[in-house]
Amino acid sequence: MTVSSNIIEQVNALMKTGFEIPAEKLVPTATLVGDLGLDSLDAVDMLVYIEETLNVKVEGERLANVKTLQDVYVLAQESLSNESLQPQAPLHLEAQGSQ
Amino acid sequence: MNKVFVTGMGAFSSLGNDVGSMFAGLREGRTGVRAFPEWRQYNGLYSHLGAPAPAYDVMKIPRTVRRAMSRMSEMASLAAFEALAQAGLAPGAALNSPRTLIIMGSTSGSPFTLETYFRKLFEKHGPEGQLSTSFFKVMNHSVAANVAAAIEFNGALLSPASACSTSTQSLILGWELIKAGLYDRVIAGGADELHYMSAAIFDIVQAASRTYNDRPEIASRPFDKKRDGLVVSEGAGVLILESEKIMSARGATPLAEIRGGTYQCDGTHMTQSSAETMMTVMREGLTRSGLKPEEIDYVNAHATATTHGDGEEARAISGVFGSDMAVSSLKGHLGHSLAACGALEAIACVEMIKSSVLIPTRNLDEVAPECEGVRHLKVNTPARVRNILSNNFAFGGMNTCLLISEV
Repeated sequence: MTVSSNIIEQVNALMKTGFEIPAEKLVPTATLVGDLGLDSLDAVDMLVYIEETLNVKVEGERLANVKTLQDVYVLAQESLSNESLQPQAPLHLEAQGSQ
Repeated sequence: MNKVFVTGMGAFSSLGNDVGSMFAGLREGRTGVRAFPEWRQYNGLYSHLGAPAPAYDVMKIPRTVRRAMSRMSEMASLAAFEALAQAGLAPGAALNSPRTLIIMGSTSGSPFTLETYFRKLFEKHGPEGQLSTSFFKVMNHSVAANVAAAIEFNGALLSPASACSTSTQSLILGWELIKAGLYDRVIAGGADELHYMSAAIFDIVQAASRTYNDRPEIASRPFDKKRDGLVVSEGAGVLILESEKIMSARGATPLAEIRGGTYQCDGTHMTQSSAETMMTVMREGLTRSGLKPEEIDYVNAHATATTHGDGEEARAISGVFGSDMAVSSLKGHLGHSLAACGALEAIACVEMIKSSVLIPTRNLDEVAPECEGVRHLKVNTPARVRNILSNNFAFGGMNTCLLISEV
């Protein structure tokens, strides 16, 4: 899958600010655990940062297959693509208010 | 019974981020209180005053440890590093012993994190989007657990929480456990971070200063006729307590001796401790320390500048020690650092003993009639200081006092 340069820039930015990873380590082949020093707690937070940065919903189950930074780029790109195909969110607040 | 000594101290306060800076500020009569006009945005909050700690660098704490820390845990960890260094102890494996114990606490979990946590919870109608580390900042033993991680400690850990008497309880419990021979070394203290809700807790019950919002330097005025309530602050205080045996064996230098103390609940009122129950705790503290009232040279009062508490404490001190007892409160300088105040004041007391000077009450221009009956210190007072009694009282009727002696 082709990942836009904008996605790569935004993911790299959140990796730098969220996990204090130096820019020179942010190469597509870098492994999250071995090269970037992330662990399971960081993985959860990484998803939150991606969701907030790109305003998308990421399926947490997909984390199991994310090993490298390139995998993160793809996950972010696919989540954004899926989001654009989704119907408008239901009017959750109005439904709550009618109860 | 084992004697218990202080061999290291670390401080984070509104007057400076180490013991030397804090005590220099006290000697110079400075205050860390400043105005918080940005708090005017909060409906129902009328106290716009606080005493924050100066900016600090947390990069010496690894990210994977720091990510679970709020401001209070950061300050406590840095204070712990300072205390260990003064004691000649290195963080890491050498600290680990089944006979070493950490006792630290805070009033609650991080108020900053609680605010963001619940704001998002309500916005999202559920836990969606919560960071994995948020809970580690709001759990009740956050400070103790995070300090343990920062100093790479594997061992016994306790986390008392009794609001403004938390760190005094930590120190007294440490003294009790070392004295009883159950532990050789205790890393004791407490911490809290400044947040507008900390001010609000007191403002709601009309115990926070409101009329000095535009004159912060004179806002916190314990025992003074024109006092109108406390000013919240923040900080962390950590003391290394060691048995005489282990201290001597490693050739460490004692800074002071912890002679005793006690913590008692008055069980009558959540906010209004009475002089009678304060007298009870001071007398029991003296009994447990083996000291007589006439052997005490100075009482470090809790006195936060509330209209009720200061008068009751002055009456209680007078009742136990008589009218010639030298008394001061440090809240005019430091503000009220809540769970940190007992440890910070204990550190200041040790420094007073070492430097043979008693720090006066800042902003005490005219003693209120209800606060008379003791010898209020208004200027730095040179004195040989053999024994100090330090009081701390807290919401919930928690009364504590700690006895500290020269070595």
